Formats: sequence, structure tokens, C-alpha cells
Amino acid sequence: MTAATTVKTWYLVHKWTSLVCTLFLLVICLTGLPLIFHHEIEDLFDDGKPVAELPEGTPNASLDRIVAKGQALYPDEYIDYVFMDDHEPQAYVGLVRELGKGVETGHAVRVDARTTDVLYDGPPYAEDRFSFMGIMLALHVDLFAALPGELFLGFMGLLFVVAIVSGVVLYGPFMKKLEFGTVRAARSTRLKWLDLHNLLGIVTLVWAFVVGLTGVINELSTPLFRLWQSTELPRILAPYQGRTVPTELASVQNAADTAMKALPGREVSFISFPGNAFGSPHHYVVWLKGDTPLTSKLNTPVLVDGVSGELSAVARMPWYLTALEVSRPLHFGDYGGMPLKILWTLLDLVTIVVLGSGLYLWIARRKATDARVAELVRRHQQAATPQRSPA
Amino acid sequence: MTTPRNRFLFIWSVPIVLGLLSIFGLLAALLGTGLWHWASWVSLAALLVVIARYWWFPARA
Repeated sequence: MTAATTVKTWYLVHKWTSLVCTLFLLVICLTGLPLIFHHEIEDLFDDGKPVAELPEGTPNASLDRIVAKGQALYPDEYIDYVFMDDHEPQAYVGLVRELGKGVETGHAVRVDARTTDVLYDGPPYAEDRFSFMGIMLALHVDLFAALPGELFLGFMGLLFVVAIVSGVVLYGPFMKKLEFGTVRAARSTRLKWLDLHNLLGIVTLVWAFVVGLTGVINELSTPLFRLWQSTELPRILAPYQGRTVPTELASVQNAADTAMKALPGREVSFISFPGNAFGSPHHYVVWLKGDTPLTSKLNTPVLVDGVSGELSAVARMPWYLTALEVSRPLHFGDYGGMPLKILWTLLDLVTIVVLGSGLYLWIARRKATDARVAELVRRHQQAATPQRSPA
Repeated sequence: MTTPRNRFLFIWSVPIVLGLLSIFGLLAALLGTGLWHWASWVSLAALLVVIARYWWFPARA
């Protein structure tokens, strides 16, 4: 391919990938704004009780007592999981009416991890989908269409990533004669916004690429977990085949202790109970996290027999789940305090301007842009001509 | 200004520096705490400063 046709091809790639994904990406960027601050917003509208003010270093209560508080409120339901909040000393005890139906019938009771006081008896997740934050999340993640919606928006994210890459390729020929940061404001509105689109795009390039790509990986979390369940778990579960989910469970605190003994220096972040849709029918899956900034984002699953309470296996963490775990903070921007969240917001706003200006450039001056590309193509051809004709 | 190397740097030197700064900013807060968080905030904020600088006071063509 000659340089001219290469530019033309990349231009078409940039144009079409952008056009297809822009409207969805605008929705994703707008709904992403409140999601950056979801902790703060949820705290603001939280009608539960706060955790008790206790001296630093007060130990957590036994998980058995914490879980019992949730069970006492709903004696006919099953415990689905217990999740240790990483911001406050509190635990979420997940309950389900029917085993394995966490998404459909699940709800959670928030319990003070140290006093075991019930802080909040949350509504079913299904109801929470139509709260303000629930709607923001659905528009950002799955358009209320569960897995097909996740895969669809994941594909839009992939197009966004391709649009970024092709945009970088085009930046070279467009900026050949222009100083970095040139904005030709005097000549025409279109030219001004073309230059701003290029400037804002190239400055936020790496951030947008990382947030876009990690967003795509996050959208794949359901199939990735299913893959892990269907490849890694059967090996461990083989001896348990054909047995039903146990009704008499071993102590969950003992299960946690057993897991932590197997992997010292780590603490519990999440325990799925036997029968959990994303866990094992016979085991507590105890997810342990490390204590450094990075390893606190990386969980290792330990399987503990749900009846005997004995260690079954430290599951191998496949590379794709590690990638998924690293993708979360890099997408959410929640790993560097409030200043990082504010920077995430501003960079998100800049991305909205890049998307909006890209759309404007296409709608308002389609012909002018095409002429500009033709001009670039012609110039490349001219530059290439002398080499071919020795004259 | 006419060698291929110079032509490449004319276009890409600033974007490369900003890209490295972004990578550093994204990783610093992920891998460290305390001062590393500050380093992360400063380097990512630098991107916004660059945008503001050239949006309000553009380089002339």
C-alpha cells in the first residue's frame, strides 16, 4: 500500500468505528460521571445506620455471628455470600430465596463488622436497578439487557479503542506542518474544532485508551467467570459430583481461618456460600486479597469444603481473571483518593468534547473533511512521484 | 528540520512525553501510596494543564 492509500484507509477506519460507537460512548461517558463518585453519592442517600465509632484496631466479630444476623432477619432464605467492605468496617450478608438465583431474588443486609449491629436491610437488587444510580449503572454497563447488553456495549468499547488507535495514526499526517497545540481559530469553526479534536484527543490518548480497554475487559467479566468455573472448578469438584448443595454448613469463620492459614498474610474480601451462582455447589469460595496497594486489588480464591470445613484447594488464578482484577481500578479511577476521582471526571469531560467534536466534524462539514483527506492523499502522491520518475 | 528523524520528532515529541506521563500517572497510584499518589495526581493534572494552555493560548499556524 502506498502512503496515500494508507492514510485513506485509516481515515475510513477512524470515521466508521467512531460513527458507530459515538452515541453509545457519549451515554457511557455521561453516566460514568456519577459512577466515579458512586461511593460518595450512595453514602449521601444512605438511610442505614453508620458503623459504630470504636477505637482503631478493634477486631472484627466472628463471621458466624455476622452472618447469623442476616439469617435471623430472613430465616427461610439462604446465605448467598458475605462481602467485607473495603472502605468501612462493615459486611454485606447476601441472601437469596432460591439457591443460585442471586441476581434475580438476591438482597443484602449490611452489618457492622465489629458490633454485628444490623445497619441496613437493603432492597432486592432487582428493585435497586431503577434507583438513580441503578439506572446510571445499567446505561453504562448493560442497557438493562444483562449479558447481551454487556457484550454489545463491550463491542462498542472495542470500536472506541480502534477509533483511538486509528486517530493516533491520522494525527501524524494531519500535524505534519503544524506546531503541537496549533488551533486555527481565525479561519473557520470547522478548522478550529478539527484542531481542538486533534489536540484533546492526542493529550488524553493514553488515559482514554486505558479506560476504554479496561472497560471492554470489565464487560467480559461474566463470560470470564463462567470460563473459570467451567475449566478450573470441575477438576476440584470431581469428587463431589452428583451431590446436592449441603444444608448443614460448616462454620464460615472456620472456613475463612482455614483459607487464611493456607495463604498467610492475606485477608478475606468475599466468601461465596455453597450454591452461589458464581461459586461452587459444595464449597465456600473464600477470596483473599493482599495488603499492598496492588495486591489488595488481586484476589485469590480458596475452596473450603462446605460440610467438613477442610481445605479443598487453592484455586489457580488464570491470567484472564488477573487481567480483569487489574482492569477494575484502572477503569473506575478509585485507587488514588478524591484527587484521582476529580482528575478522572475532568478527563472524562475532555473525552466527551473529543466525541462531540468528532460528531460535529462529521455532521457539519462532511465534504470539507473529505476534501482535506483528498488533499493529504494528493500531497502524499506528489511526494512519492519524484522517486518513481528519474527525469 | 528536514531529516526524517527531525520530522518525526517535530510531530511526536510532545505526544510521546504526554503518553509516558500518563502511563506513569496511572501506575504510580496503583503501585504506591503517599508520595506516589501525589506524583500520580501531578502527572495526570499536567495533561489538563496542557489542554488548558493550548485551548486558551493556541500555537499559531
